[in-house]
Amino acid sequence: MIRAWRVAALATAALAAACGGNEAKPATSDDGLIAAWKAAKLEVSALTTVEPKPYGATACRGGTVSSVDVVLCDYGSGEDAQAAEDLGLAVVGDATGAALARGTRLLVVVDRRKADPSGRTIDAITAAFRK
Amino acid sequence: MRTYIAALVALACWLGVAHADKKQYRYVGIHPIAKAAGGGVCHIGAPHVHVYAPVDVKVQFRDHDGWNYFVGDPVAYGWDGPKTSYYGHHPVPVDVIVADDHPDTEYCYLEGPHFHAWAPPAELKLELRAGAYWYVGDFPPAYAAGRATYDPIDVVYQPLRYERPTVVVDAAPPGWYGAIVVAPAPVVVVPARPARVSAGVEVRVPAPSLRVEIGVPSVQIGIGGGVIVHDHHDHHDRGRHGGKGWKKRGRGHR
Repeated sequence: MIRAWRVAALATAALAAACGGNEAKPATSDDGLIAAWKAAKLEVSALTTVEPKPYGATACRGGTVSSVDVVLCDYGSGEDAQAAEDLGLAVVGDATGAALARGTRLLVVVDRRKADPSGRTIDAITAAFRK
Repeated sequence: MRTYIAALVALACWLGVAHADKKQYRYVGIHPIAKAAGGGVCHIGAPHVHVYAPVDVKVQFRDHDGWNYFVGDPVAYGWDGPKTSYYGHHPVPVDVIVADDHPDTEYCYLEGPHFHAWAPPAELKLELRAGAYWYVGDFPPAYAAGRATYDPIDVVYQPLRYERPTVVVDAAPPGWYGAIVVAPAPVVVVPARPARVSAGVEVRVPAPSLRVEIGVPSVQIGIGGGVIVHDHHDHHDRGRHGGKGWKKRGRGHR
């Protein structure tokens, strides 16, 4: 009987870990998004750590996608990510850009080098993020 | 030298501040790019910002939850993406088009054949005829209320030279009303159907009578003391509508 309880407890723990119960693990992985960008024939640089304070986030990383700057940030909740959209737009400043929340992540896209005058690249970047 | 460097730094700071002070304008969906910013069409569908103001904002844009949504014809500005042909006024389900949770139906007041980048959702009461969608449903009071403000949108498009949809019809669909716009040709349609404005109780907008004087080779239409009034849906239009240089030849009752 005791053995059966142990097995049940282990199974529950394993299930919790599989469902994301491990808090040390990042809430979301960027791998799927990066794959989607690459599938859209966008050139994706390595994403490196970015100071999260301007975005009010717990963690951020950034890089370029086809010469357009991107930053991905994590938040404790979807509401926090949503509320941070305005902070993202403040970072965009006087360039063309976007700040979109999805789940607990925020994507900030900024065309600082005017590399995307028609917006096609930003459209592809944001469309992949919103899917 | 020190003074020179200090002045240069001060100037750089001032320029930086001035640069950063540019106003952000919020957009959602594709839209024309201001000529000063290069012209053409911005392809970004998601909510985004630019530092230039919307082009002809009073008639070409609607506020969608704080974001500027373009309701005009993007092909006129060089749009080369997917497009759908429409004829006359119709609703614009903005929330469906931009895929968000803020219910918002606006109205397109463009006369005659024109394009939009969106295909109509099934729930919109449109009839596909001669390659264009014609709205055959009722308009709510909001549509009538917006006419005074948004009807002048045609003035914006009259000088624009671009290939509009070519629509060849024997008759407009039953239930559609509006002004037929024809290419320079001696044909015209005289619709005489009043706008159906519904808000639970149907309201009928009184229609002025039409005077139609038939000449050769064109048909002249004036609004005033009635001589001949077409009061049926069998529109006598056998022309090709569209192409460059179209113009409105008649005006129906709304």
